[in-house]
Amino acid sequence: MATLGMLDSANLNGGQKLAVKYFTVAIMLFGAQVLFGLLSGLQYLYPDFLYGVLDFSVNRMVHINALVVWLLYGFLGSVYWLLEEESQHEVVGLKLGNLIYWVLTAAVTVVVLVYLFVQIGPGKESSIWLINEGREYIEAPRWADIGIVVSVLVVFYNVAATFSKGRYTGIAGVLVLDMLALFGIYLAGMFYTTNISIDQYWWWWVIHLWVEATWEVMVACIMAYGLMKVLGVSRKIVETWLYIEVALMFGSGILGLGHHYFWIGTPEYWFSIGGFFSALEPIPLVAMVVHAVFDAGARHAKNSNHPAMAWLIAHAFGNFFGAGVWGFMHTLPQINLYTHGTQWSASHGHLAFFGAYATIIIAMFYLGIQRWRGGTWMSGDLPSNGWKWKWALGLLNLGMVGMTVAMLVSGYVQSQIERAIEGSSWMGYFAAQIHPWFVQGMWWREVFGVMFLVGFILLVWDLLTIGKGESRAMVSAEAG
Amino acid sequence: MIEPASLGNFFTIFFTSAMVIMLGALYALLFAFSRLKGDVRLMPLAYISYAGLLISTLFLADAANLLKHPFWTVIVAFMLVGYLLAPHAIWHLCVGTHADEHAEVGPVPLKDF
Amino acid sequence: MATSQWWASESFWRKTAIWVTGGSFVALMFLTMDTIPQISTGSKRVPAYSVINYRISYKFDETRHVQVPVIGAKEPLFGKELNEEEAEALVKLGKLTTQSKNCMNCHTLLGNGAYYAPDLTKSWLDQYWGTKEVREVQMLEFIKDPSDKVHNSMGRRMPKLEITDEEARGVVAFLKWMSSIDTNGFPYNFKSIEQEN
Repeated sequence: MATLGMLDSANLNGGQKLAVKYFTVAIMLFGAQVLFGLLSGLQYLYPDFLYGVLDFSVNRMVHINALVVWLLYGFLGSVYWLLEEESQHEVVGLKLGNLIYWVLTAAVTVVVLVYLFVQIGPGKESSIWLINEGREYIEAPRWADIGIVVSVLVVFYNVAATFSKGRYTGIAGVLVLDMLALFGIYLAGMFYTTNISIDQYWWWWVIHLWVEATWEVMVACIMAYGLMKVLGVSRKIVETWLYIEVALMFGSGILGLGHHYFWIGTPEYWFSIGGFFSALEPIPLVAMVVHAVFDAGARHAKNSNHPAMAWLIAHAFGNFFGAGVWGFMHTLPQINLYTHGTQWSASHGHLAFFGAYATIIIAMFYLGIQRWRGGTWMSGDLPSNGWKWKWALGLLNLGMVGMTVAMLVSGYVQSQIERAIEGSSWMGYFAAQIHPWFVQGMWWREVFGVMFLVGFILLVWDLLTIGKGESRAMVSAEAG
Repeated sequence: MIEPASLGNFFTIFFTSAMVIMLGALYALLFAFSRLKGDVRLMPLAYISYAGLLISTLFLADAANLLKHPFWTVIVAFMLVGYLLAPHAIWHLCVGTHADEHAEVGPVPLKDF
Repeated sequence: MATSQWWASESFWRKTAIWVTGGSFVALMFLTMDTIPQISTGSKRVPAYSVINYRISYKFDETRHVQVPVIGAKEPLFGKELNEEEAEALVKLGKLTTQSKNCMNCHTLLGNGAYYAPDLTKSWLDQYWGTKEVREVQMLEFIKDPSDKVHNSMGRRMPKLEITDEEARGVVAFLKWMSSIDTNGFPYNFKSIEQEN
């Protein structure tokens, strides 16, 4: 019997017990990401701050690595969350899954400690194996790479075997293949080469084929499950649309890789491929807009989890603006020549990662906590009008939009002064960095970053307290 | 293969490419609403959005020197046709994929089909 | 009762998703097989490591509308001509050093990385180094200990990263070699150090 309003793991199935562990680490790493982002942002304003102790390179590395790992933890947690319900079978290797969770978490901890306290090594392959690979986003040393691959293979086995023993649904099919691709692609980033063009060619396979292909499909799978759960949409429709989105996303996203191959030494025909598929990439977004309107009109479902629903709406907007609008603004090579590698990229990166991925995982956190408390009421009329989740939502989103716009202003100055006028020389770089607009952009970024932090603290507080002592049960939206 | 944009055109490029995506979405949104509600008055607004998209695309194409090369001109034409037809095709698909469900739910706005 | 259209059926879209994904991936494989030889060391776009024995400049190309690297007269790095193996060993040491010192989390290389410090793609050709006569020495000194060089009014400084003399030479070799890569005109409108005699 579910204990309403109490955090009781008896409310969760086996996979979900493991899922909330992943979610917990994900939130902690999210916090680390915000903290180290603020530190590196502060160093733009006060360059001597922590100079020689925690240099910008270290803070920034922890900032972006925490991002990648907390999103991956969020995905793994989400997969374990839906696994038993979707397959209608117990997780086949739950003990193994738990063990791997601890191994992975221990490895992540060691990697971060080495980042913070060892930081750099001599110019030898041993440094790459033990300390830091020095390649943006995938800095994790090679030993950790191997650990990650082994761990995710176990997760993959767990998921694939559970589906095979239970019910192998359409969502299961897409999810299993997508996980295989996601982890397989990671191998492309696991070798050393002196040739930096080849290095970056494969490096983009990992980065692009993750964030603009396999992660998107992962989110589509989670959404498909969520739509059935939260809105009670029929499986047949959800799965058909999952296939449609997969076709559109992979169809535009895989060769969309071309827009990263403009300037790394690769041949000119990548201009055509990158340009063409970049023009296609908004199509899945248009499809989502039309289908969402259609769906909203076709049903008047009761929504049983207002915070989760609000974060799903934030996801739709964030994905559209961050990936769609901000991406397309500087994707054509004729303009990307000036924006590539400026604060433009940072502006786009922040809004796109947050909008497309952070939002949906936060929605999963709310679904998780609701079940963990025994399926409590999370619709309207929450105590104190649910001010915590509403303010957290508002501050996090406003903080992110503020940071994005601030960096856009800085990036705009940079593309003009550093790139177009001064011709990308070092002096041109510095001329742009001291321009008042640039500096003000960096200040506003920090101010909105603090707002984001306040939102994050509220989010954690809300997740810890929402539904506590609640006596009303949730309204079920699931179709019959 | 490409001709880099000139400094004076930066703002035009950033602005019009943002407008292309936003008007593309607005067009899709209004189009879908119009069909959903069976409200024909919304449809002209949808096509006005598309007209805005078309104008933005042409300004973008000019500012980014796209029309000086056959390949990029084809991309522009492809985008214009693609964004015009995509909401139609996707609406069609929505109706088609939800066909069974609608039979159970009851009356649905199928007047255009 | 509405009848399902074939183009709206689940099985049609499952097959489409598989074919589109597979097709895109196969296309990407073919493109990769075509691209990799074109960017392998010693190709036209990515010269052999022994290019560090020559002068490298960055000149405007009328047909491509952008600047492209031009390999010129013999100008061995540090005045010592290296054979292919020696050059590769030196550049390799430099590349390993840039990775183990985490350069990419402040600088960009070929435009990728962080934005706290200047792009390094053509840093070998940067006017910051003064004249080509003092460039090599300047670069070595800078890389080994940049912490006392506030070279801009923002007060941003590169930290001292315990780079040995040999590693610093490797980094300079790597930067010189990288400046010879044909990056389709990135960075644009670059103003190069005076190198003509």
